[in-house]
Amino acid sequence: MRYGRKIRFQVAGIVLLALISGVISYPKIVVFIDPVYQKVNQLKVSLGLDLQGGVHLEYVADVNSVPEDQREDAINSAQAVIERRVNAFGVGEPLIQTSRSGEERRIIVELPGVKDIEDAKKLIKETPTLEFREERADDDPDLVQTLTMVNGMSLENAKKGLERALAGEDFAQLASELSQDPGSKEDGGNLDFQKKGAFVPEFDIILFDENNPVGIVHPNIVESSFGYHIIKIEERRGEGEEREVRSRHILFAKMQKNMVPELQYKETGLTGRYLESASIDFGNQYAMGDPRIVLHFDEEGSKLFKEITERNLGKTLAIFIDKEKVTAPTVQSIIPDGVAEITGQYTLEEAQSLKSRLNEGALPVPLQLVGQQSIEASLGQEDLNKSLKAGFFGVLAVIIYMVVYYRFFGVIAGVALIMYTTMLIAIFKLSSFPGWDWPITLTLSGIAGFILSIGMAVDANVLIFERIKEELRNGKYIESAIREGFRRAWPSIRDGNLSTLLTCVILIWMGTGFVQGFALILFLGVSFSMFTAIGIVQTMVKALPMQFLDRHLWLIARIKRSKNKK
Amino acid sequence: MTLNSIRYRKIFYAISLLGVILSVSAISFWGLRLGIDFQGGTLMEIHFSKEISKEDIYNNVSSVAESVLVQPGNDNVFIVRYLAGDETINEKVREKLTEMDAENKIIRTDFFGSSVSKELTRKAIEATIVAIFLVAIFIAIAFRKVSRPLSSWQYGVGAMIALMHDIIITIGVFAILGEFYAIEVGIPFIAAILTILGYSVNDTIVVYDRIRENLLRHGMKESFENIINRSINETVARSINTSMTVLVVLFAIILLGGTSIQSFALALFIGVFAGTYSSIFVASALLVTSYHFQKKYTK
Repeated sequence: MRYGRKIRFQVAGIVLLALISGVISYPKIVVFIDPVYQKVNQLKVSLGLDLQGGVHLEYVADVNSVPEDQREDAINSAQAVIERRVNAFGVGEPLIQTSRSGEERRIIVELPGVKDIEDAKKLIKETPTLEFREERADDDPDLVQTLTMVNGMSLENAKKGLERALAGEDFAQLASELSQDPGSKEDGGNLDFQKKGAFVPEFDIILFDENNPVGIVHPNIVESSFGYHIIKIEERRGEGEEREVRSRHILFAKMQKNMVPELQYKETGLTGRYLESASIDFGNQYAMGDPRIVLHFDEEGSKLFKEITERNLGKTLAIFIDKEKVTAPTVQSIIPDGVAEITGQYTLEEAQSLKSRLNEGALPVPLQLVGQQSIEASLGQEDLNKSLKAGFFGVLAVIIYMVVYYRFFGVIAGVALIMYTTMLIAIFKLSSFPGWDWPITLTLSGIAGFILSIGMAVDANVLIFERIKEELRNGKYIESAIREGFRRAWPSIRDGNLSTLLTCVILIWMGTGFVQGFALILFLGVSFSMFTAIGIVQTMVKALPMQFLDRHLWLIARIKRSKNKK
Repeated sequence: MTLNSIRYRKIFYAISLLGVILSVSAISFWGLRLGIDFQGGTLMEIHFSKEISKEDIYNNVSSVAESVLVQPGNDNVFIVRYLAGDETINEKVREKLTEMDAENKIIRTDFFGSSVSKELTRKAIEATIVAIFLVAIFIAIAFRKVSRPLSSWQYGVGAMIALMHDIIITIGVFAILGEFYAIEVGIPFIAAILTILGYSVNDTIVVYDRIRENLLRHGMKESFENIINRSINETVARSINTSMTVLVVLFAIILLGGTSIQSFALALFIGVFAGTYSSIFVASALLVTSYHFQKKYTK
């Protein structure tokens, strides 16, 4: 008796399943169908931090100073701030999560591929900066020192440049190489014909002194407010009022206070730490004006702000956000109540984004590092390779063992095991399918769970095959032995695997990182193995040529049939 | 070939008891060597740019941290471990290391602050208790249909004793390994213990399942002891084959796997081995003992 059409459909289904999972887990087999290959090849197993290398940081957020009902918001904003900072740092696929354990609020930051832990930590911990800075006096010692140092270096460079020019190097080429005058640099320092008065006086004097020869580099460095110049007069033409000079120069720029906001303004100590809130208003209550951002400082901040405005009446006060100058309004009056306004030509959108940046940046949730792990990328890669190798040899050993012990059935178990492996890999890869985002990430512990599940996947087969052998020993024909074998093995498979699934659920539910990764994969593995054992192995076994096997029982096991066949 | 494990059950009990006693003494005498994930501590892997002695590192780090361990590797690489409850100790240690060699390179730092490790420990203990509890309930439900001659809770107790046997022996072996080979126990070990739990119960259930079936089929004709012995013999091939395949893959991991999962696989190996032994020689024999006990003291 044959099982008929139904079994043929089932076999076709299995072959289809094998093909699909095979293509997904190993796209190279369809490399000749390019569009399919392209699509499938984009699916990647998402690797955990321990396999691709990176940094795992765990912070406890101190929310004690935040009112109960605002804690959720505070944590979320802190998360947003970290996200913004991390993105600016240029980390691929960072993961920033918040978690809660009892009263403790945690923020977990995972940065794949990051090498410098200390840098990353600094970046995250850095309190978001909103700073008010005041004008720096011209005789400010820090300023003087910085300018002297920078400009001294510039002069040194100019001297070296002059030596080279005097030694006969091509002037135009030298200018292209060294000049810091963006207007003439590309053109070999060429300044074209100019009349008297076009340049700064120090420069003019040299050009229009008829004693200075044409075509020769001026032997001295000429200092102007722009910097240090090396000058070469190229041509003179015209007379009197129409006298014109064409020249070239190499500029070694001087740094000036007003060129660099950091130099122009100095810290006042008033920072985002003292900010209570930022809001938007439109100025005049009768007419819509440009949006303005209104800052409210706390008590201490208000005091500081008052002192600062007193000190800087009539001068500008700059607002720096994340070390960048945003605006520098002039202080019109002393502000005693801690309310500051930022005005500027902001669109509503800009104002809103600025507002939320300030609010986020001002959040008073101190973070404390409570855990850190870093894995070097190469180490992770090495572990991955080793584990995959272990998995490969594990599967191979199991297949050999099964074939030796269960002969023909062992071959079927081997095929099922390979299918099981490809199906699991396909699931891993499909989890990265755009839009699905299944939370399956392969970690080292996941690989361990995967490899362990290989051993367990065979368990159901072993149970079934043992039962079938037993039935055969009792003298049954192969077809009914198989049917009976599956039927009797099922309760054991069910009860046995359920206990493992139960522990997996507990581990996923109560465990932490490593344990969860392991349990999730083991859970998937055990569930899939039940499917392969019952669905796939059963179908394949039923599709076997029964009469043939009945005549050649040695293919299955060494069995002496009892005389009275049932 | 038939195995008469029931008749010689006292010998097998004795072997198990010896293993358990040795394990319990190892655990109570030496205890487990806890990893930084349970203790709150830091593991730093540092590469120095010049030759530096182990003692030097030890003395320097000891001045700012407690329980310092220094383990030399290749090419001026050292692994330094110490207790640390918060980040300030790590900073001090880094300063010390920079004093010794400004060009040191920290390859890896794993740091578990005391609040994290406390939580991990608490969660691990909770998970284990919940798992054992739920598994016991599960067995009682799975065997609810068996009521003669033993009630289903006796199966549950039998499986639990076998389970505890496996876990105690695994922990005992790790206490010994910790003492003599400095192998540490961390979070992965808990995962391994819980997996052994699932596996051990799985193994025992398969044998019990066969007992349940045989009791229904032959319960009238054969003695209880014979039925149990027959059931063990009918499942022994499966028990050994399944265990062998699992042990084979675990062996592959121990041999070839990355260092971080080797001790994990080792724990599983020991547990699966003990689990196979207990499901064949202990769990079912306990049913017979329980049966005799019941016959003697009831009526």
